[in-house]
Amino acid sequence: MGRTYRGFAAEDAAALSDARFKVVERLAQLATDEKVDAILVAGDVFDAPNLSDRTIHRTFNALAAFPGPWILIPGNHDAALAESVWTQAARLRAIPENAHVLLKSGVTEFAKLGFAILSAPLTQRQTHDDLTAWFDTAETPSGLLRIGLAHGSVEDQLPEAADSSNPIASDRAESARLDYLALGDWHGTKCINVRTWYSGTPEQERFKDNSAGQALIVEIDHPGAEPKVTPRPVGHHRWIKLNQHLTVASDLEQALQALNALPVQSVVDITVGGQLDLTGFEHLQQALSAATGRQRSLVAHLEALRVEPTEDDLASLQADGYVGDVIADLRERQQAEGEQAETARNALVILAGMLRDHRAEVAK
Amino acid sequence: MRLDYLHLAEVKQFRRPLHLNNLTDGINLFVGPNESGKSTLVDAIRAAFFERYKSSSVNYLQPWGDSSGAPEVELAFDWQGERWVLNKRFLNRPRCDLKIGTELFSDTDAEDKLAELFGYQFAGKGASRPEVQGIPGLLWVQQGAIQEIRGPVGHAGDQLQSALGTSLGEVASSAGDELTDTLEKERGQWLTRTGKQTGDYKAAIDACEAGRSGLADLDAQIAAYRAQVDELGRLRKERETIDQAQPWRVERALVEEAQKHLEKVNGWRTEQQQDQATLKDRERSQKLFREQIQGFEAAAKQLAKREAARARAQEQVGDCEARQPRVDARLALANTVYASAKAGATQARQQAERVRLQAEYDALTAGLTISRKALEQARELQKKLARLREQHQANAIDEKALAKLKRYRSDLDKLAIRRESLATRVQFDLLPGKSLAIGDESVSGKGERLLLEATELAIPKVGTLRLQPGGTDIAALVREQEHAQAQHDGLLARLNIATLAEGEQRVTTSEDLTSQIELEAARLEGIAPEGVDALAVQCDLDDAQLKALSGKLVNLPEVVPDAADEATADAALGTAQTKLKAAEQAAADLNRDLAMANQAAATAREEWERLNNELESSEHKARTKNANDQLTNLNAEAASLLDAINARQQQIDAAQPDVLQQDIDRHTRSAEAMECAASERKQAIDRLEAKLETLGEQGLNEKRDTLQQEVDANERRRDELTRRTAALDLLLSLLKDKRQALTRQLQAPLQKHLDHYLNLLFPHASLTVDENLMPQMLTRQPTAGTGNGDVESLSYGTREQMGLISRLAYADLLREAGKPTLIILDDALVHSDAGRLAQMKRILFDAATRHQVLLFSCHPDNWRDLGVAARDLQTLKAAVV
Repeated sequence: MGRTYRGFAAEDAAALSDARFKVVERLAQLATDEKVDAILVAGDVFDAPNLSDRTIHRTFNALAAFPGPWILIPGNHDAALAESVWTQAARLRAIPENAHVLLKSGVTEFAKLGFAILSAPLTQRQTHDDLTAWFDTAETPSGLLRIGLAHGSVEDQLPEAADSSNPIASDRAESARLDYLALGDWHGTKCINVRTWYSGTPEQERFKDNSAGQALIVEIDHPGAEPKVTPRPVGHHRWIKLNQHLTVASDLEQALQALNALPVQSVVDITVGGQLDLTGFEHLQQALSAATGRQRSLVAHLEALRVEPTEDDLASLQADGYVGDVIADLRERQQAEGEQAETARNALVILAGMLRDHRAEVAK
Repeated sequence: MRLDYLHLAEVKQFRRPLHLNNLTDGINLFVGPNESGKSTLVDAIRAAFFERYKSSSVNYLQPWGDSSGAPEVELAFDWQGERWVLNKRFLNRPRCDLKIGTELFSDTDAEDKLAELFGYQFAGKGASRPEVQGIPGLLWVQQGAIQEIRGPVGHAGDQLQSALGTSLGEVASSAGDELTDTLEKERGQWLTRTGKQTGDYKAAIDACEAGRSGLADLDAQIAAYRAQVDELGRLRKERETIDQAQPWRVERALVEEAQKHLEKVNGWRTEQQQDQATLKDRERSQKLFREQIQGFEAAAKQLAKREAARARAQEQVGDCEARQPRVDARLALANTVYASAKAGATQARQQAERVRLQAEYDALTAGLTISRKALEQARELQKKLARLREQHQANAIDEKALAKLKRYRSDLDKLAIRRESLATRVQFDLLPGKSLAIGDESVSGKGERLLLEATELAIPKVGTLRLQPGGTDIAALVREQEHAQAQHDGLLARLNIATLAEGEQRVTTSEDLTSQIELEAARLEGIAPEGVDALAVQCDLDDAQLKALSGKLVNLPEVVPDAADEATADAALGTAQTKLKAAEQAAADLNRDLAMANQAAATAREEWERLNNELESSEHKARTKNANDQLTNLNAEAASLLDAINARQQQIDAAQPDVLQQDIDRHTRSAEAMECAASERKQAIDRLEAKLETLGEQGLNEKRDTLQQEVDANERRRDELTRRTAALDLLLSLLKDKRQALTRQLQAPLQKHLDHYLNLLFPHASLTVDENLMPQMLTRQPTAGTGNGDVESLSYGTREQMGLISRLAYADLLREAGKPTLIILDDALVHSDAGRLAQMKRILFDAATRHQVLLFSCHPDNWRDLGVAARDLQTLKAAVV
């Protein structure tokens, strides 16, 4: 919560921020509908340690739809330092009773609900020790499910790990005789082993396609039983990155089709390179404009796109006298590398536009 | 176009009409000295075209002093097969008539037609100005104006442009210019003329800047926040680990213990001090008593000493008394010896004396004899000398006077001779018995007389003859003679001599006497050098002396044969004297010693007695005893005190009070430090908690993220505008460049004409024109002149040449465009050197094949090789019809 989106128009960014609150509400609703015993949040609830009161209040208010216990631990973004979001929230009295914020390592029993939580919250922004190590020797009353709740990187997993600090042994669930180990820190849903899962973030917030935007429903019948884990999509916006290269006219058709086929209310990043004639360029611009209306956000990168007017284009422009010379010069410049080519392309497009307008004026 | 003729009337100096006929194609050369009217002709042509006939600003055309003059100009030219004739009159009865072929035009119509043909305008009011003179303003060049190009070209600009004409319009009439305008407008939204960002663009950039610094601030704040959170965590941990235990209590306890201990030690110290004070007191008393005892002991010693002294003194007396007799004996002996020695010495002395005296007496006697003899002699001599001196004195004669006398004598002799010669000599030889009287004298017989004066000769019975000697001198001479004689005689008398011979004799005698005197005097001197009297005195003295001596001798005893000599006797006396002295001394010493010894003995005895009495008194004895007793007691006491003190000191040292004090200090400070740290920590924690609470409320992270979003948006906008303005700039520059290229292309004809002429002057050179057709830059090969430059910066001469070349090129251009081109050059190229002038003439000649040129100059020689005959203005004037 409290995450801001860079590289987006202000209103898009606001909407995306808003989506995060909505997804919590949806989580709560899902939990209520599925009649779960508890919701576990494995850290990084808040994106930064110093947020406005409003954000804090909104976050905790969003928990309301599920009256059962919410069990939360601090992650590395919201570590339980001497002063943190949690202390702030406590001062604001924003934390509802059904939200259990576990700021210290330890065992918390929920005997009535039949489980005990072994929590390894982060009290520092980074640590190089395995904070779950003590799980191995921790005792819980028999008859209660042993559920671990931790935040960090499982060792020897993905090479592009989110954080290389806060390590967690990959066999912790086994060595600590846990029924289930709920992990946080990675944004995508990931199964480490049958008892160890990353649920990922409920609302995707990056273009990396790693199965974000889900929540996990975990069913364990009794202590020692194998958990049944069901991922459920809860996210609202899809994040899609497109890359199109245009050489011939048909390529443009394809690109436009792909553009139109995108699911609505997605977050789209589209890069178009290659070359196009003037008419095609206009079509492309129109299509992008239209798509922007359908999507939550659409960012187009056209720097690498060259505009090559055809003879027909030129004829239709009716560029006479020295203006024709100018167009020829610009076409030549487009062949160069780098910024020069882009500037030349832009100049050509502007010129073409103006000539067209001029012609339209004259025609009137 | 070809101007055919020009007629002037009542124009400046041309009161009577002037006709310029048969003007030809090509160059028409007019020469004439200054003030021959060349410029007037040019002015007339200019006025005919440029000035309205009704103009009142043409007074300068009137003949001088003639305000009623009506300048009139008539000219005719052929143009496109038709003859145009213009007739204009100014000021008085102004009029303007133009005949084109057979058509007639008048007044302003006529003037406008000409203006249209030639390409100029009329000034609104007043005289014509360069600004309206268009093409003729460019081609009809007045004196000193040829180097000026920019102005005239500017004023003829439109005409020139339209001559290049229809093609340039091409450039302007495409859509390009409109595009350029639109683009400029759009660019102007974001960039100023100089390329600085403005408007939205600038705003975006500024916002980015502001945003960035804002971000930096927020980052700093966030970092500070984080640091403070970390600090709070650290402090809390410290408080837990350190302060909970209250470690300062331990320290305080240690302090107390050490304090107690120290107090005990301090007690001991006080006791110690007391004891020491007492000890000091006792020691003082000890000292006093010891001193007392010492005093007593000293007194006893003193007594013993005195006893000894007394004994010694007594001994001393005895010694002296023992010595006495011997000393006395010695003294007596010495006296005796002395007496005898003395007698002996006296005797010896007397002997010696006698001998000496005797000798002296004998010598003196002998001397006296001699002296007496000498004295006698001297007396003799003295007498003789006196006599001689008397004689001399008597004989003496003043030799000077004698010399004078001698002179007188000779004078007299001379005078006599003169008289003789002067005087009248009367010789007579009388008959016996006859006499005559010569003067007073009566003479007879034979004789001679000298007559020095008038003399009467009385001849008895005959008469008298008066004889007057000749010469007045005679009288004077006689007088002189008498005077001299008188003198001579006087002197004789004074000298007391009868004659000079006598006088001389006396001198001789005197001399003899003198030598005699000298001789005798010398002899006397030898005998009695100091004088006779001295000698006499000496004799008397010696005599007296002799008497005394003899007296003395009588008193002295006779010589004793074997008496000792004086020296020995003296020696013996000396020895005896010494010995006597010694003996006396010894005696005296002894007396003294004895006296002293007695004295000392007496004193010693006294002292001893006194002291003895004292010491024997009972009082003294009692005191002595007391002192001893006291001292013994004190010693005992002091000893015991000292022991106590030492023992206690050891105790104190063992307790190490300094270390104790240090411990106290150390532990106190530690306790304080710990308490202080703990309290500070508490305060710091409180402060931080409060601060973080406040900061936390500010939602710094969210603020930062929001600001970041803004910055991103601004950056995107800025980049967008950068791209757009870059594209606009590119477009604009390309449009401008292409347009310019096209313009240049179209200007090519003018360029061609310029280069054509230029290359005749500077091979391989070129003169560029700007888009207003103004000559701009001259480019040459480095060897031909001074390189490249703006035409304005060339030398005066070169600028003249450029001026003419440009005008000729424009003329060619205008001709191609079908405009009339008459070229008038009034005294052009005055600053060109011979070399350049030669080239320029080639150029002119070439141009003249296309245009009619009226060339005026006051230097006919310069233009001789132009290929045309010069027309002399003066001749023309003279040939007025």
